[in-house]
Amino acid sequence: MGSTGTGGTPGRRRAGDRWGGRTDRTDRRTDRVGAARRWSRRPAPTWLAALLALALVAAACGGGGDSDGGATGDEDAGDPTPGGRIVYGLEAETIDGWCLPEAQLAISGIMVATTIYDTLTRPNAEGEMEPWLAESVEPNEDHTQWTIRLREGVKFHDGSDLTAEVVKNNLDAYRGAYPARAPQLFIFVFQPIESVEVVDPLTVQVNLKQPWVSFDAALHGSGRVGIMAQAQLDDTRTCAENLIGTGPFRFVEWVPNQHLRAERFEDYWATDAAGNQLPYADEIEFRPIVEVDQRLNALQSGEINAMHTSDPQTIDELRDLDEAGEVNAFESSEFGEVSYVMLNSSKPPFDNITARRALAHALDFEEFNAILGAGILEQASGPFAPGNIGHLEDTGFPTYDPEEAERLVQEYEEETGRPLSFTYTTTQAQATLAQAQLLKEQAEEVGMEVEIIGVDQSTQIDSALQGDFEAIGWRNHPGGDPDGQYNWWKSGSPVNFGRFNDPEIDELLDRGRTTVEGREEIYEQLNERFAEQVWNIWIYYTPWTVATAPDVHGVPGEGPSAPEPFPGLATGHPVMYMWVEQ
Amino acid sequence: MRLILRRLVHLAVVLFLVTLFVALLTAMLPGDPVDAIAGFASEEQREALREELGLDDPVPVQYVRWMGDFVTGDLGGYYTVTGERPVMDRVRDSLPVSLQLMVYAQVLALAVAIPAGVLTAYRAGSRGDRIANATAFGMLAIPNFALALVLAYYVGVELGWLPVSGYVRPSEDLVEHLRRMAMPAISLAVGQIAVYMRLLRSDMIATLQEDFITMAKAKGVSPRRVLWRHALRPSSLTLLTVAGLNVGTLIGGAVVVEVIFSLPGIGLLLYEAIVSRQYVALQSLVAIIAVGYVLINFLVDVLYAVLDPRIRHARA
Repeated sequence: MGSTGTGGTPGRRRAGDRWGGRTDRTDRRTDRVGAARRWSRRPAPTWLAALLALALVAAACGGGGDSDGGATGDEDAGDPTPGGRIVYGLEAETIDGWCLPEAQLAISGIMVATTIYDTLTRPNAEGEMEPWLAESVEPNEDHTQWTIRLREGVKFHDGSDLTAEVVKNNLDAYRGAYPARAPQLFIFVFQPIESVEVVDPLTVQVNLKQPWVSFDAALHGSGRVGIMAQAQLDDTRTCAENLIGTGPFRFVEWVPNQHLRAERFEDYWATDAAGNQLPYADEIEFRPIVEVDQRLNALQSGEINAMHTSDPQTIDELRDLDEAGEVNAFESSEFGEVSYVMLNSSKPPFDNITARRALAHALDFEEFNAILGAGILEQASGPFAPGNIGHLEDTGFPTYDPEEAERLVQEYEEETGRPLSFTYTTTQAQATLAQAQLLKEQAEEVGMEVEIIGVDQSTQIDSALQGDFEAIGWRNHPGGDPDGQYNWWKSGSPVNFGRFNDPEIDELLDRGRTTVEGREEIYEQLNERFAEQVWNIWIYYTPWTVATAPDVHGVPGEGPSAPEPFPGLATGHPVMYMWVEQ
Repeated sequence: MRLILRRLVHLAVVLFLVTLFVALLTAMLPGDPVDAIAGFASEEQREALREELGLDDPVPVQYVRWMGDFVTGDLGGYYTVTGERPVMDRVRDSLPVSLQLMVYAQVLALAVAIPAGVLTAYRAGSRGDRIANATAFGMLAIPNFALALVLAYYVGVELGWLPVSGYVRPSEDLVEHLRRMAMPAISLAVGQIAVYMRLLRSDMIATLQEDFITMAKAKGVSPRRVLWRHALRPSSLTLLTVAGLNVGTLIGGAVVVEVIFSLPGIGLLLYEAIVSRQYVALQSLVAIIAVGYVLINFLVDVLYAVLDPRIRHARA
């Protein structure tokens, strides 16, 4: 829905509506930004998705969804006025802090990270990377060497300069080659790096062990790969809580579970597209308010003036409030994640396609959406959300057909001599348990037997890693280049949790990774192959909404080199463009 | 003195049993703390981390190590990949919040329940008594989290009287502090009010039948004085016992209420420690709660003697 701006109700705009058609945008941008052209067809790093998923699985598996974009009424709001204070209600606390190479950030953590830190690159309206803290990020011909040229005169919040040396140390820290830091996941993400060299005070050269066309996407890491000051990098004791970046706001205070405060960084290097100094607001305070109803209450009572949510009921409520002019709401499922039932194809019953097809036909999405999704969810027919390369409205994924499901259940039983019964593993959050319950009812209506296993988050991840499940509630594959999903789906990969072994998918993944032209078709084919083999039961594209008080604007902000912003919300949005009417 | 000594032994035994139980329980939990802190790290890294954090040691060894630290005032640290995160740092900030919440809830509950209990006992069977009883049952039936959400919406959003989330230290701004604690305290207190009122009412009714009350009345003592000076004190023993024991219920309720109102108290820490497999922190937090619980009930025992001279004399 949101990808091409099919519109929304008046007052609540979606991502596409505001910025016009995609093609126009692409043309404009690529004319202007040479670097962007390369990015458009480049695969994103595979492990990036792993990273994303880890954090998002942690936050996810529970929430609801939200969908496409709507603006905060910004076009009508006039020009941004500097000053004011943003108080932003987050869905969770980031209890392990922000020592970025070691941190495992979910959406709330990323919101804070992009407030304090800048990344070297950042996505534009099309999801393609452009230089941000870097002035340019250029590969050599065969993509085995990348040269990062930094902006001049950029200061960290502690007054130190952004230099090639600091950036090298940061990159070394992320890849596990800096003694003071002990990263985990980023070691895999940056595994292809052979060495990082300082060429001159503002130039870093990264030498790779192999061609890597999407290195610039890895440098963004969905906002997780911020550049920290040398002092924080070397802080072995309090790195997680003494945040020093070059970002739009300077860290002031963090009281866990209470608030994180930051103030406008006067020496911030960036301006908006019109040349105004960023950030607009004087102060920002993040407050973790775990209970979504309370987050909305706090917004309505004026205690906070911004919040995010992926809970469908709340999104539905926010739509009404937006229409009534009580809040500004921006909604997006573009570049989002897909919520699905992951099937373990390495053991019965889902090693059998008849069983997989039966379950797909048993799922009544209309009922699911009406009962649990407040009617706002967009049914997914594949892993790629709107906006992504490879997204298809209809992939041929089996639709709700209880008679066919019943027939397939019988067929399975005749074939194997066993009843079609399986366990469904889920986290114990209220929302996920309700989903599990409904899926169980729907599956049992067509003759299957389902046992729900409720576990906590760590156990759920453990079950997936160990393959100790038959079906499991999951949310993953956020937007970006589909090559980012390589390891999730490649045969034999340790994070191919569903353990399917599909030569056709392997071949498509490899081609997608190495081919420059025709990637769209490759990933569309891959999407259709998923549907044909029913490796997973896709349910919906997870929507997110950011809502603000009526006098707060600037979500989702601007792109790195143009006013058109990246429309996805699944990994947060930049707060430097948020402003309060003065 | 003997009483205090006995209580100290009691405290040590409770502490030992409770923490041992927690240690065994966490050992039985599926999952691994390393999953929570190091996610998809390689097997070698996980092993190294496990060894560094002492997670490879048998449960009794881990337990004895923790206990050794705890009794010397060291609450241990959160498991981290690098750096230090002492549990004490978090407890120092969180404990006062939970204590304030519980004290406010308890004071509020008693402040409403005592007059209501006394008056309904005095007018037992009257229409007012029946209304009060029905209200009490109603209050008992409302789960505190439901009340919290309803209050937050109507008082916080619709009426806009009180803030719905967050915490302010009393030293920062006392009025704002009380405003923010009001709804959480009410949510916790309402169920207690009903219990306390019903208890006090039935004890008072019994006391009012006693000879010394009849005697006082016969001597022409005013009904108010009879109620508040003569009858209330001997009727308060059960109430006091239950108020002490109820601290446990309050702690349980505080976990939920703290999450709903975003109060950074011990309840939130406990919840965090459980979901992120922070066993050392969990054990220390449970131990602190156990110590607090035993101490409060010890205080209650001492208060018995103050309230009822017969107990004092019997012990003597």
